[in-house]
Amino acid sequence: MAESSFATRNLQPTTRNSESWRSFRIATWLGWQIESNWADPFLFAVYSIIKPLSGAAILVVMYGIIAQGNFSNPLFPYIYLGNAFYIYAGAMMTGVSWAVIDDREHYKTLKYMYIAPIRIPVYLLGRGVARFITGSFSVIITVLAGVLFLHLPLDVMTANWPLFFLALFIGVVMLAMMGLLIGSISLLLVHHVGFLGDAVASALYIFSGAIFPLDVLPAWLRPIGFIMPITYWLELVRRSLIGNVAQAFPTLAGFSNMELLGILLGLSLLFGVISILTFRFCDRRAREKGLIDRTTNY
Amino acid sequence: MASLAIETENLGRIYKIRGNKKEKQIRKELVALQEVNLQIEQGELFGLLGPNGAGKTTLIKILVTLLAPTTGQARVAGFDVVDQPQLVRPRINMVSGGESSGYGLLTVRENLWMFAQFYGLSSKEANRRIEELLTMVGIADRMHTKSSDLSTGLRQKMNIVRGFLTDPEVLFLDEPTLGLDVGASRDVRRFILEWLDVPPLPGREGREPALSGAKGEGRRTLLLTTHYMVEADELCDRVAIINEGRVLACDTPSALKQRLQRDALFEIETSPLNGLSAEALVSLPEVRKATLSERDGGATLNLVLVEEAALAGVINVLSQKNVRILKLSKREPTLEDVFVDLVGRSMEEMEKVGASEQ
Amino acid sequence: MLTWLGAAWKRWKRWVQVSSDQLSVIGDRSAVSTHPQKVTGWRLFLKTVFARAYPRVIGQQREKSWMFFDIILPLGGVIAYVLVYKAIGAPAEYVGFVVMGGAMTAFWMNVLWSMSSQLYWEKEQGNLALYIMSPNSMMAVLLGMALGGMLATLLRAVAIVLLGSLMFQVQYAVTSFFQLLAVFVLAMAALYGMGMMTASLFLLLGREAWHLSNLAQEPIYLATGFYFPIKSLPFWVALGASIIPLTLGMDAMRQLVFPSGAKIGFLSVGVEIGVLMALCVVFLVGAKLLLAHMEKLAIREGRLTEARR
Repeated sequence: MAESSFATRNLQPTTRNSESWRSFRIATWLGWQIESNWADPFLFAVYSIIKPLSGAAILVVMYGIIAQGNFSNPLFPYIYLGNAFYIYAGAMMTGVSWAVIDDREHYKTLKYMYIAPIRIPVYLLGRGVARFITGSFSVIITVLAGVLFLHLPLDVMTANWPLFFLALFIGVVMLAMMGLLIGSISLLLVHHVGFLGDAVASALYIFSGAIFPLDVLPAWLRPIGFIMPITYWLELVRRSLIGNVAQAFPTLAGFSNMELLGILLGLSLLFGVISILTFRFCDRRAREKGLIDRTTNY
Repeated sequence: MASLAIETENLGRIYKIRGNKKEKQIRKELVALQEVNLQIEQGELFGLLGPNGAGKTTLIKILVTLLAPTTGQARVAGFDVVDQPQLVRPRINMVSGGESSGYGLLTVRENLWMFAQFYGLSSKEANRRIEELLTMVGIADRMHTKSSDLSTGLRQKMNIVRGFLTDPEVLFLDEPTLGLDVGASRDVRRFILEWLDVPPLPGREGREPALSGAKGEGRRTLLLTTHYMVEADELCDRVAIINEGRVLACDTPSALKQRLQRDALFEIETSPLNGLSAEALVSLPEVRKATLSERDGGATLNLVLVEEAALAGVINVLSQKNVRILKLSKREPTLEDVFVDLVGRSMEEMEKVGASEQ
Repeated sequence: MLTWLGAAWKRWKRWVQVSSDQLSVIGDRSAVSTHPQKVTGWRLFLKTVFARAYPRVIGQQREKSWMFFDIILPLGGVIAYVLVYKAIGAPAEYVGFVVMGGAMTAFWMNVLWSMSSQLYWEKEQGNLALYIMSPNSMMAVLLGMALGGMLATLLRAVAIVLLGSLMFQVQYAVTSFFQLLAVFVLAMAALYGMGMMTASLFLLLGREAWHLSNLAQEPIYLATGFYFPIKSLPFWVALGASIIPLTLGMDAMRQLVFPSGAKIGFLSVGVEIGVLMALCVVFLVGAKLLLAHMEKLAIREGRLTEARR
């Protein structure tokens, strides 16, 4: 008897847990295949070096003109680090939400993902992992350029690394959940949804104190920044890397590191719950309206 | 010679296939077309018949000035496709089956209008023709639908209208009924015949006044590629059978079938073949050709026999192999049989070979 | 009056003739059975330009969401950079520089994503083969795309300027309307000429147009001074960036509309107008040459009609 004739062999029943793990693993692998820039020097240079460095350079030149080359003002590292780490926000939010569009419109595989025994939200989050890794290259290269050429006061010996990695971890998960939120809404939008991730990312760039302290915003707009977990996350990242320089700004100076961490965690949980609920709602509506296998066709 | 609509002389095309990154050094050459010599008269409906990958589309691309031949020459509407594309282009148009050209956010009418403009039609004239042509293919009610909202079949009909809209002297239809359902395919075929059956262009008549339906100078010409036998048989004045880049035969469908007139053609449906091969059958006396196609729980044999009497030998072999005969019928030759006769294999088998080689 | 009557009569006569011709030939199957009049030469050229511009303009009408994103995204950039300037205490006119830069990014995005990469998309969709096969000139097709895109984008740019100026109370002091108009028109002609040229180039390079467009986004924002006066960059960098028509176009426009403009100018407005004129010629001639080269190469290598997945 041929033992493993696949028609006769029983497949292992899967538990819900292993279903999630499988979804995540496969999505990560797939995202990796799609995003694999580093294999191609041209693409790696474009996305991980040239684009982020040019973006940072615009701010550097703007600052340089006005401050007449004085880079020792604490505002400079504030802007530079905020901009560098915001790369994660763009990468994660668009990465996760783009998976919906890419699978539905380009590869036309979303419908098959849907009918496969995987968990779609977990699958979408998994697609963000590759973006996290490629984003990390950009962040590291940008920060490194700042330290080497612009006297960014980052001292490897004095930085608070445990706080940094803890904040980074919470922040990345939080950003992925925000991506899921956008991805869920993308399920319902059919026209030109590709920009939704970008639109949200660029809006939050303004409201999360990434490149200027929230006090610069008109008073009535500041609350938006205060309810965004990204604001606290960026502040924690700055504080952990360059300590008191970041505290030179009044906006969040009243909070201790632990308080900030607590707020970040709380808001992240809140947004996590909101995105899961949103996914459930949008998922049901999308199936009701038959949008899962819809292509926009342009 | 000026009356020829299409003329090719030793036409050949070799594709250089670039290897992917890992095998950059490996450069393969693919002979898509070789020594094609065709003379197509004005007013002819000419068919190119062959399996997928036979070189039909390559030939059309060369004739519509999109691809340069590697060897030989081609003239369309009297002009060289390589040296005088600007004179060929106003006189031709092309429709390829199964493609989704056009802009999704424009309506059907707008898409067609835009292409008509590229050929210099006035907007008024273009709109009038669009309306009539859409009516003829039965999608006038979709005139103001965005083309992104059309089904594949309807978009293909729009595409076909685009080809006819500009009133070309020579029209190339590359698998025009690909992906269409039976009814729509029939509509398209009827439409094609109607279009051809029209008097010559003003000022381009022959010496004698053209009779309705007669062929001659200035008349519209249509080159059609297909791998549906019935389509070629039903529509075409002449058919060229093409395989692996070569034209194997070129004649009227009836003349082509004439070659098999003295043979006896049988189709046998059987139980599974139990390892019986076509070669075993061909080795029998007076069996000229044999093709097998297996399907679930059975098979179909197509036999070309020199004499009817040879059938006895075949039946003998079948019973030796324990193959039961479910149905046996004698039939008239089709173009498919002509293909088998020329190539030794059916088009279906050729396509399988082609697919496994790629 | 008489000549008008004469012309009208001729037109009437021709119409009668044409329609009676049709009637005598065909009965009710007129469209397939008649041979339509076709124009050639410059009339065909103009028809093609107009026809290809049409989807661009109508697309704007039909896809309101494009408008939304094309205004909101650049406006977001404007707001962010204005606030950065405010945070670092920049003089008031820098706000105006950013607003103008934001409006001009709309044109750059349009040239990049809807001109340079357009032939590539047309190829993927199967339209490029139809364009080349038709009797019109490809220059006319590209010109149509450019004009349509420019018109559609002009609306967005105006919206960005208006919204940005209102939001941040930008002060303008235009010194010469005539020069301003000349600079804008020249900058647009050169910019879209460049788009027409790069359209063939992108197709020839064979790289996915998507990546090339992406490559040319942030670095160009930086080098052409969308958000700061180009004079702040090292001289040779600014000069190199001047190959992109927006660089000198924006520099000249800033000199012409802002009170402190003259101080921040890279070159004098007159010189900049001269260079822009030269760029117009170079890019349009370049577009024509590259287009011919692309077509020849594509026909020889058979790369015109295959689509990659």
